[in-house]
Amino acid sequence: MRRSDLGEFEEIVLLSVAVLSPAAYSVAIAEELESETGKNITTGAVHAALQRLEKKGFVTSEMGEATAARGGRRKRLFNVTVAGSKILHEVKSVRDNLWGRVSPQGLPEINLN
Amino acid sequence: MRRMNQRPSYTPPKWVDRLIIRVCASHLQEEILGDLYERYQFSVERLGERRAKRRYFREALAYMRPAFLHKSAKTTTPHPITMIRHYFLTAFRNTVRNKAFSTINVLGLALGMTCFLLISLWVADERSIDNFHENNASLYTLYHTTESNGNIFGAYGIPDWYSDRIEVDDPVLANELKEVFPEIEFATTYATSYELPWGYACTFQYGDKQYKIKGSTTGEDFFKMFSYPLVAGNAATALNEINSIAISEKMAGLFFNSPAEAVGKVLRYQNFKDLVVKAVFKDIDRKSSMQFDYLISWKNNIQHDILTSGHDNPTYVKLKKNTDPVAFAAKLKNFQNERMDYPENYRVNLGIQPFGDRYLTSNFVNGEPAEGRIEYVRIFSGVAVFILIIACVNFMNLATAKSLKRAREVGVRKVVGSSRGYLVGQFLGESLLLSFVALICSLIFISLLLPVFNNFSGKQMSLPLGDAGYLFFLIGLTITAGVVSGSYPAVYLSSLRPVRVLKGLMRFGKSALWFRKGLAVFQFSLSILLLIATLVVSRQTDFVKNKHLGYNKENIIYLRIEGDLNQKYGVLKERLLTMPGIAMVDRSSEAPHNMGFEMSAPFTWEGQQEGQAVSFKPTSVGFDFVKMMELELVAGRSFSRDFATDTSAFMVNETALRQMGLENPIGKRISAWDKQGHIIGVLKDYHISSLHEEIKPLIVDIKENLSFGVIMIKTQPGKTKEALKSLELANSEVNPDFPLAYEFLDQEYAQMYESEAIVSKISNVFAVLAILISCLGLLGLAMFSAEQRTKEIGIRKVLGASVKSIVAIFSKEFIELVLVSFIIAAPISWYLMNNWLQGFAYSIPLTWWIFALTGACALLVALLTVSFQTMRAALRNPVKSLRAE
Repeated sequence: MRRSDLGEFEEIVLLSVAVLSPAAYSVAIAEELESETGKNITTGAVHAALQRLEKKGFVTSEMGEATAARGGRRKRLFNVTVAGSKILHEVKSVRDNLWGRVSPQGLPEINLN
Repeated sequence: MRRMNQRPSYTPPKWVDRLIIRVCASHLQEEILGDLYERYQFSVERLGERRAKRRYFREALAYMRPAFLHKSAKTTTPHPITMIRHYFLTAFRNTVRNKAFSTINVLGLALGMTCFLLISLWVADERSIDNFHENNASLYTLYHTTESNGNIFGAYGIPDWYSDRIEVDDPVLANELKEVFPEIEFATTYATSYELPWGYACTFQYGDKQYKIKGSTTGEDFFKMFSYPLVAGNAATALNEINSIAISEKMAGLFFNSPAEAVGKVLRYQNFKDLVVKAVFKDIDRKSSMQFDYLISWKNNIQHDILTSGHDNPTYVKLKKNTDPVAFAAKLKNFQNERMDYPENYRVNLGIQPFGDRYLTSNFVNGEPAEGRIEYVRIFSGVAVFILIIACVNFMNLATAKSLKRAREVGVRKVVGSSRGYLVGQFLGESLLLSFVALICSLIFISLLLPVFNNFSGKQMSLPLGDAGYLFFLIGLTITAGVVSGSYPAVYLSSLRPVRVLKGLMRFGKSALWFRKGLAVFQFSLSILLLIATLVVSRQTDFVKNKHLGYNKENIIYLRIEGDLNQKYGVLKERLLTMPGIAMVDRSSEAPHNMGFEMSAPFTWEGQQEGQAVSFKPTSVGFDFVKMMELELVAGRSFSRDFATDTSAFMVNETALRQMGLENPIGKRISAWDKQGHIIGVLKDYHISSLHEEIKPLIVDIKENLSFGVIMIKTQPGKTKEALKSLELANSEVNPDFPLAYEFLDQEYAQMYESEAIVSKISNVFAVLAILISCLGLLGLAMFSAEQRTKEIGIRKVLGASVKSIVAIFSKEFIELVLVSFIIAAPISWYLMNNWLQGFAYSIPLTWWIFALTGACALLVALLTVSFQTMRAALRNPVKSLRAE
């Protein structure tokens, strides 16, 4: 698993596509990620990530309808491919394994509620 | 989405959008702008407009990454050859699909090119005359500018270089010039012997062969200065002795078997002098304004009266190489003034004119040569350019009008991805193609028309297609015409927005419509201008040819007095009067239609004031002159044999009377040279020279024994053939050593206006062509307009309009155009024509009906063209026109 396979941002974008499918597009993903992470996510960054994912073959896209909310312009909708799903599962399994091998005292959880 | 779609929409800052559009790849722009827009709506709601705008900009910056930028290399450049082939195919198909339109277009342009090329050939020919001499750069013509009491006039013949015998320029002038000025290498005077007013063809005899030949007298430097190639003999000795003569190949062929044989032989000149042939030259080319079949040495003038046509004979000089003409002219200026003892207020300044310029610029204005044929060259050049412009404007108009049909094609091309540059190139290419086809057509037209044109203009022009320079000119012309004509339609078509076009929302904007109307008006104005000009020129030429000159020039033949005709005049007259066809015989010292002799000094009269001088045109005639010419008298009586004293009687004309200031002239004394006499009658003014001049004072007396002049014979109407036979016979009896040569007075008179006649003919043709081209344009426009409004016509018909009313409605539009053109063209043409007519002392008045007639003609022609088209459209079945979608 090389770094070029799936970057961290790309990973969460890919996950968001999976979450929001079939209506996954840049603005929706950016809004979602903003509310999840609390950080400012620009649609440009999301768009770029999606392009890279598409180039790597992890998502497919198609043009959707034009709406008035977009000033009469169409949007591009994304779906996860089989390869995308595979790599997400791989990444998840690697993480899960590592998390499983951490002893309870190793990473104390700090809860600031 | 969590958000609802019914929201008021906020507009994001446009400048950011523009930035994105400039920078980002075109295929991504829709998504990017859409994403930004949607985001913006949320932002405004959450953050308020101002902060949302800032956010918008930052979001936009996120898109300025390499991944999203324009990838210029990505746009596929189509293979050039494929594209060119494709363009050709499209152009070809288009042309074939609209056969009528394309034909009109090409034809109009071809006609325009034909005119332009024909006129340019003529202009080039005119300019090339006299420019073939090797020494052209250093050849000059002398002229004088005389200031006398504030009056300035100029001429080529330098005055006051008299020999003792007649006022004719001597070789003395040429020799003196060479002695005084080292800059002058060669100099010679040149005088023709066969032109009006006094010249005629001279008789030469060798053995029993006798011919009348036209030639000139000149100095021995002639062949050294000018490039007339010699076939036998050499330039240095051709005219160096007093009895030398150089003859042309043609003349040599008349008397001898070959030019080589001619050298050294003796020809008898005018039956009184023997001349030795020293050289034979090649027949003179058309390109030389000096035409002659023989040249006699000027030295003869010292011994004999050598015939010269007039006394305005030019002197030509060749300057040494590298002489500054301006400096030389300054030196030359006072040459005459220093040698002659002129009174106060009288100066004769000399000047030089480049030799090659003389043909085109030989009329003197304010003492300097300034005008002449060059006016015609300029006018015709202007006409040529005009006509070409009309043709191009035509093309432009038609192509633009037709463009509506191709709007869909343009829309599709743009959608598929063609850039504007390509579109412009395509349409320019199409018009260039048509332009080349037009060129081919016009070359064909020219080759057909050239013989006729040569006939008109008296030239022998041909298309120099072998000359690379000329080919370049043709190609340049075609490209210019194509680009100029095609520019507007190309730019207009390529600017169409594909969405509007494909939806069928195409309408011509107001400005486009006005532009086209403007073009049509411009076209028609030019054509009307040309028409008016032609009409005026034709009428003036006719007027001049047919104007009542104050005498009857019909049926009069005249011949020069030469040989024994003077001594045997009485015999000839008696003989002729008994022969068939002859009505009257008389004589005059000059041909009456173009009197050249004018003097003031030798005349005095009773009642003449101190210092008063009147410049008379004197002529001496026979007793029957007045009757033969049918001249009118206003006072007194005509010459009559009943009065013995009439041999010393004089008659004057009205103008003379006015200038002399005499009242009751009858009986007053008057004298001319040494002859004293009385005035017995006053003649009504009649024209004694061309209508370019005013009638000058005339004084007439009886002299039936002059050794020069003309014999005039009035023939009985309808019996000209018999009269000529009689004349032949009588001449051979009375004057056998000289073959008969006669002229018809009316023909000679018409020849004085030859250049006007040519101009009239040429402008006739070109005006018709101009109107034709404009009509073609109008036809195209009408066709197009009818097509565009088929639905309108259909609806009108359905609602009950008659064909007539439909035609009327549509024609109105075009009638307006023609009217406006007329209003523009009329004052301009009035001004121009007025100017031209000033050149005639007697001219037609510029009546209003000339303009009215032209306007009516133009209107009629336009109406015919337009209504024909609209009628065709109006006659169509309305069902068909309304159903088409």
